[in-house]
Amino acid sequence: MENEKVLEVKGLSKQYKKGVYASEKVTFDVHRGEIFALIGPNGAGKTTTIRMISTLLQATEGDAVVSGHSILTEPEKVRKSITYLPDEAGAYKNMKGIDYLKFMAELYADNKSQAEEYVKTGREICELGDRLNDKIASYSRGMQRKLLLARAIMSKPDLAILDEPTSGLDIINALEIRRMIKQLAAEGMSFLLSSHNMLEIEYVSDRVGIIAKGHLLETGTPAELIEKYKADNLEDVFELVVMKKDIK
Amino acid sequence: MKFRTLFLKELREMLSSQTILMMIVSVVILSFAGQAMSNAVEDNAETMMDINICDLDDTEFTHNMIKCLTANINALDGEVNTVDITSDNYAEELKKANVKSVVIIPEGFTESVEKSEAATVKFVQRLNSLATLSNMNAGSQVAVDYLSSAVKEVVYSTKVANGKLTSSEVSFLNEPLKLEESTVVADKSEDISASIVMSLCSAQGMIVPIMMFILVMMSSNMILNAVSTEKIDKTLETLLSAPISRLSVIAAKMLSAAVVAAMQAAVYMIGAKNMMNGVLDNVSGESGYSEALNNLGLTMDASQYVLVGLQMFLSILIALSVSLILGVLARDAKSAQTLTLPIMMCTMIPYMLSMFVDIKTMSPAVRYIVYAIPFTHSFMASENAMFGNTGVYVGGLIYQVIFLAVCMFLALRIFMSDRIFTMSIGGRRAKTGGEASQ
Repeated sequence: MENEKVLEVKGLSKQYKKGVYASEKVTFDVHRGEIFALIGPNGAGKTTTIRMISTLLQATEGDAVVSGHSILTEPEKVRKSITYLPDEAGAYKNMKGIDYLKFMAELYADNKSQAEEYVKTGREICELGDRLNDKIASYSRGMQRKLLLARAIMSKPDLAILDEPTSGLDIINALEIRRMIKQLAAEGMSFLLSSHNMLEIEYVSDRVGIIAKGHLLETGTPAELIEKYKADNLEDVFELVVMKKDIK
Repeated sequence: MKFRTLFLKELREMLSSQTILMMIVSVVILSFAGQAMSNAVEDNAETMMDINICDLDDTEFTHNMIKCLTANINALDGEVNTVDITSDNYAEELKKANVKSVVIIPEGFTESVEKSEAATVKFVQRLNSLATLSNMNAGSQVAVDYLSSAVKEVVYSTKVANGKLTSSEVSFLNEPLKLEESTVVADKSEDISASIVMSLCSAQGMIVPIMMFILVMMSSNMILNAVSTEKIDKTLETLLSAPISRLSVIAAKMLSAAVVAAMQAAVYMIGAKNMMNGVLDNVSGESGYSEALNNLGLTMDASQYVLVGLQMFLSILIALSVSLILGVLARDAKSAQTLTLPIMMCTMIPYMLSMFVDIKTMSPAVRYIVYAIPFTHSFMASENAMFGNTGVYVGGLIYQVIFLAVCMFLALRIFMSDRIFTMSIGGRRAKTGGEASQ
């Protein structure tokens, strides 16, 4: 099962106008139970790639297949297999936390009992207790992020796409989230992450892809890349790859 | 020094490009409306002193009186036109004579004057609109004034020349004419002064446009905020990545906003109906004016309220679909605020014009520009319903439906494409997450 590809990205490109690419011929796979992280500087094309896989943006070339469904021809089936947590995402501030979980659960579930199951899982993941009965407007940034993460994970999708999953969280909460991601991956959920936090990526990811100026420059496990570039850590690898590669 | 720094910072914050744009737009709107009104006044002023007269008495005395009147009116750059009125069906007679008003000198006029009795003069005026400036006319008062002076002149020249005036003749000369007024609306006429009709209807004429303005602004703000907040807070990304179609998302937004808008339109129309009933009952209950207004068709019945409500609802739907598109353009709360400007502008122009001028009679170029604003037809709806302007009403309704379909199509196209994430105000592409590489 571990070699089963949950996500196959094949030459995915986004061209906004002739010759101007936000993302060009990006190719990588994510296997079942794998945590794959896309890392790159600001404006590298990480979010564009993630948005194309999430069916939010249309690819101009290439394709991505999620659990056997093409993002080009079966976007609704793709959306059934994924959840996406955007960077700096917000929630409906006038809703109570619990109502937000219920609202999102109903969008993902096939029936009422499944929706209730999702909400129960969401409650456990976010650990907000009675605060779930308060309006989201009264939440701290960390609490809101935990709620959103719980929302993204509660339906146990084949692939959870998390853009900067721990941004806004304190160290303790961030550690908890990382542990949770690893645990869920061990249970078979796949993750596609994007982060600026190299320590986090090195700790949590099974494999990473380094992206710059729309091109995927390197993929491999953190250990493989550190060894290949004879670096001390992933941060050094990142610097060496991004600074030294000559990208047209 | 520190205060100056603080003051300048606050001033810069408040005097943003959006605020300046708002001020410029307001000046443009007011200037446009002012120019349109000025043209309307100018057009009216040209014919304001003209008097149409029908001499049913047809005596030497009335001929002389009309000659005097003509001399007086000509001195004021006006004209006295003779028209034929052959029946009491004033609506038909005015239409046949192609005039808006007529002063009728009835049979027996000369006889009354000779008996030194106040002679009756009839003034009939057609109302085509309830807009304040559209019915500017020399009117009954001016006609009576000039006819009185004409009568006096003739009486003086004949009677004074023959000797002293009796006391009854003196009192007759103080008030030689008795005025009777009739007002024509569409194909109906009633014995009521046009100025009284205008006064009684002014409340109704103002309430509907005010409600319309409030409703359009409220509903467009509602959906614009809903879309822009979703985009700014990135809840839209979460929503659109869920296993639901984008069509469902847009349909749910539009439908819920339309339900609220329909409720608002219904509530406001019921309120307006009750308010108008109250106004008419209190102001004109005992004087018989209420009945006259009813007979003229100037009090809307239930079906007319439905027609007005329908156009109001269409305007709200148009505002919603335009706001849906504009909401997508918002980059932040400030830009979202600015985005209400086009709707405000398109609502204010017909709002102001419909209150002051009869849009139907404006110059073709200006009229079609104003007609192109879809909200105009809703501002004109109550007047069209009351005055029986079926063609204008139906034309406006069809135009609004087409406009709505186009806006909905565009909104759908935007929602179904990448533009929902890439469009932003000022033509710059919003942050997509990846910058371009060449």
